[in-house]
Amino acid sequence: MPDIVLEIAFGWAALLLVGGGVLLLRAQSTLQRILALDVLVAIVIALLTILSYLRDRSYYIDAALALALLSFTATLVAANHVVRGRPF
Amino acid sequence: MAGALLDAVAIGLLGLGLLLATIGLYGLLRMPDIFAALHAAGLVTGPALILVLLASVAGGSAEIITSAVLVLLFVVITSPLSGHAIAQAARRAPVEAEAEERAG
Repeated sequence: MPDIVLEIAFGWAALLLVGGGVLLLRAQSTLQRILALDVLVAIVIALLTILSYLRDRSYYIDAALALALLSFTATLVAANHVVRGRPF
Repeated sequence: MAGALLDAVAIGLLGLGLLLATIGLYGLLRMPDIFAALHAAGLVTGPALILVLLASVAGGSAEIITSAVLVLLFVVITSPLSGHAIAQAARRAPVEAEAEERAG
């Protein structure tokens, strides 16, 4: 892919990250904050993937995989915590 | 010729993925209710991410494609699960959520 396209995509994803930050700041309940963090991690995964295309290195996507794993566990545990008052 | 075609496919997938993410984020910022917001969030964590990762098949090297497919499988499995967990939590603890919304 041409570098200019990837740079534009990278900037676009960074703007989306700003939008996710606004979403996190505007959230009114705990569950909305959990949801906003979930969406933020999804955007960061997309950002790392585009960075990996841009630099032609694969290990940025490996970092994205670890991040996705952590985010999944954290979302499940936090949602459970809201309902039961304990993590598990 | 084939390279140019693959480039066009990759750019299309990447652009479509980012467009879907933008639409989903706009929906998230507009929806008032947690269930409606979940509907929009599913667009960002599901299809948008899948399209961005699929762009690797057309543009990337073998290492990048392998890692991207791993992430893709993981995202396909976990994105509905985490959305479901949040929805279930919102249904089981409606009193607390409403009280917090009124206070905030």
